Amino acid sequence: MKLPARQRFTTSTGLEVIAARRGPLPLVSLRLVIRAGGAFDPPGRFGLADFTARLLRRGTKTRTAKEIDEAVEFVGGSLATAAYEDYLTVSVSAPSDYLAEMLEVMAQLVREPSFPKAEVASAKTRVLAQIANELDDPSSLAERAFVSAFWGAHPYGHELVGRARDVRRFTRADLVAFHRERVGPRVSTLVVVGDVEPRTVFAATERAFRGWKGGPATAPVVLPFGRPASEGQVVVVDKPEQTQTQVRIGARGVRRGHPDYFPIVAFNTALGGSFTSRLVREVRVKRGLSYGIGSHFDALASGGAYSVSTFTKTENTRKILDVALAELAKMRASGPTAAELATAKSYVNGLYPARVETNEGLSHALAELSVYQLAPDFIETFRERLGAVTRAEAAAAAAVRLEIDRPLIVLVGNAAQVKPLAKGLGTLTVKTVADLE
Amino acid sequence: MAHRDALAALGRVEEFTLANGLKVRLARSAGVPTVSTYTFFRVGSRNERPGITGISHLFEHMMFNGAKRYGPGEFDRALEAAGGSSNAYTTNDLTVYYEDFVSDALERVFDLESDRMRSLAIGEKMLASERQVVIEERRVRVDNEIAGLLDEELSALVWKAHPYRWPVIGWQKDIENIKSSDCRDYFRTYYAPNNASLYVVGDFDPKAARALIRKYYGTIPRGPPAPAVLDAEPEQRGERRAQVRHPAQAPSLMIAYRAPPAKDAETLVLDVLQYVLSVGHSSRLMRELVYGKELAVSVSVDWSWRIDPGQLVVYLELKPSSKPAEVEAALYRELERVAAEGITEGELQKAKNNLRAHLLRELATHSGRANAFGTYEALLGSWREGLALPARYEAITREQVKAAAARTFSGDRRSVATLIPETAP
Repeated sequence: MKLPARQRFTTSTGLEVIAARRGPLPLVSLRLVIRAGGAFDPPGRFGLADFTARLLRRGTKTRTAKEIDEAVEFVGGSLATAAYEDYLTVSVSAPSDYLAEMLEVMAQLVREPSFPKAEVASAKTRVLAQIANELDDPSSLAERAFVSAFWGAHPYGHELVGRARDVRRFTRADLVAFHRERVGPRVSTLVVVGDVEPRTVFAATERAFRGWKGGPATAPVVLPFGRPASEGQVVVVDKPEQTQTQVRIGARGVRRGHPDYFPIVAFNTALGGSFTSRLVREVRVKRGLSYGIGSHFDALASGGAYSVSTFTKTENTRKILDVALAELAKMRASGPTAAELATAKSYVNGLYPARVETNEGLSHALAELSVYQLAPDFIETFRERLGAVTRAEAAAAAAVRLEIDRPLIVLVGNAAQVKPLAKGLGTLTVKTVADLE
Repeated sequence: MAHRDALAALGRVEEFTLANGLKVRLARSAGVPTVSTYTFFRVGSRNERPGITGISHLFEHMMFNGAKRYGPGEFDRALEAAGGSSNAYTTNDLTVYYEDFVSDALERVFDLESDRMRSLAIGEKMLASERQVVIEERRVRVDNEIAGLLDEELSALVWKAHPYRWPVIGWQKDIENIKSSDCRDYFRTYYAPNNASLYVVGDFDPKAARALIRKYYGTIPRGPPAPAVLDAEPEQRGERRAQVRHPAQAPSLMIAYRAPPAKDAETLVLDVLQYVLSVGHSSRLMRELVYGKELAVSVSVDWSWRIDPGQLVVYLELKPSSKPAEVEAALYRELERVAAEGITEGELQKAKNNLRAHLLRELATHSGRANAFGTYEALLGSWREGLALPARYEAITREQVKAAAARTFSGDRRSVATLIPETAP
């Protein structure tokens, strides 16, 4: 697969810049990643990275929030700031004619955010209301319960948006400190993909970011993840009005860049990563138990989670668990068949180019190469490397990586009806919605 | 202007119609080595009647369950093995099937799609199992989801006679009772080639594609013309209100205004209005209701074009402490302000810039372009309309926006559904 040529550059104060020219549409995607994600939230301040990302756009030394929004949106651009576990992003999609103006706005956001007091207060209200609304959504509740049970005390063990009790305590000083300690050029990478010449990108970036200083000198490291403390736990979240149970099954996964990555993609596609996978066939096609089921390896810098997600009407909760767990066990015991492996490769490889088809898709993929220190030719060689996985390698990876002897099980639904159905699956705890606030 | 050249390049489309009435549009482009095919059938919940509501969507599921050559489960198996994936969606007006795949799989995709258009198998056992899947889908999207509950309540309030009254997924009892004979009738009528259009976009040879399409689709017999849908909707003569009581942390509001059909000249003016009101952080309702008065957590305006006269819907997620009546009043003040005073020149230009940028982004992928062409052809009459949109938006004036707002935002043409939180049983 051929990608547009990439060129690299470092600004005078150490910001890494990667540029790739791609037309013909006169658009550009700019993505600044800062290695300062939710994993670096200070204790008692869960959600601070996410809150910082939200507040970066709410005012700088020279522009109000309104002026920032107007500057980007007037020309047809859109600005997003977000936190993930390992990094923060500030990204803009815009018509390519406005590259320099957009870079100038991005630079201001990360260099001199002013965190106005009134904006901090109003953002707190919005985040608290968002958390309240998420608690009404059974699927979000299941994610919240999963994340905290699975990762436990590890820095990944909380929702990025945080906990209501912590958010209520956020102050302007917290933001100022997080920004001062975590945000700077030497832990950041800017990726620019679109209808612009790399040399124009470099000149405009140097102009916009000249003199940017501060932040750590080297990328911070997240503590390695051992074993999930939640093994063998069944967490039931009581939502009595539910007629359907949201189901999650979890086990230890692998960190990003793990040598088993390609064999894992191979067996997981056959297990629960495509529409013809075993889980979809057994749960949806053969038994009509659910509209959807899937399995994922979520790989982060210092560890990963394996999870199965699905939902079914309350009465079928046990049935769907039994069917899914049996499929996981079968895959672990003997791996994918030769035909499944061949299909998994064709399927993933056929669709892989679409992941980098848009400017945004490619800038995201390139930014992750940099954050997770993957091989520079990871994207170009992806299809070849997946194609080379043998059945023995996929089976060996399934045997070792599907650690499902004592899985974590999360069930969101009517606890009175669900509890008896979960008997014998592990140590049961019932949580209320308020426990997850 | 760079975007004009880019749009002109996207207009190089080969179009033809087979003898059986299947419309075909082929658009070759370099870029990534993939192709996307979209098959649009002109059928949706609009073509249903009470008793079989939801059949269009249930049928969409049945289309993946086996035909003559490729039996149950083989459609996805053959496609994935060839390096592709497939899905489908159903709306009030349309049912759309699509495949994204590596270029080599083109012939396989035509074989698969034409097989199910020619000879879908509709068995009782398959129907029984798929019905359960759809009921679970309904549970997750409607019964256990606040926006879904409100949307269903609101449509039934806005529409008295038109089939837009029922949800696309259908009423629960109807889904439970649809028979395989209903499905067979539906297939004969609406899945004939003369009720379909095929869009192929990506890295392929149009000449070869043309020959393959003739080979695979050419002998599918034409069907009877689909019966016309009667729009018997009476005029709305006053505000309508409904409440939904459901366990929730916070109230929410969904408010609909009656609006014209997609082909009406005012449709594009309402696009501008939608952008001015709610697209982007600097849009009016975001600025006033979310950031300024802090009454809502989120606000969105959904102006989805439809074949028959449609609805413009404002959805507000409130804070736990918000009073719905106060938020409503604040919203109406903003809408009435636009109707009375219009918008600024800056707002107009910003909306046009964003509409153009979003259109270009939509057209940037093979899949996005095939879907856009099909949608514009189905709703506006021609895929070319899509490429002409930036120029047509450019011509819109502030006066037109003000007049459209005044016509649309009348309290007498409004329907309001409110979610009232209650504590769990």
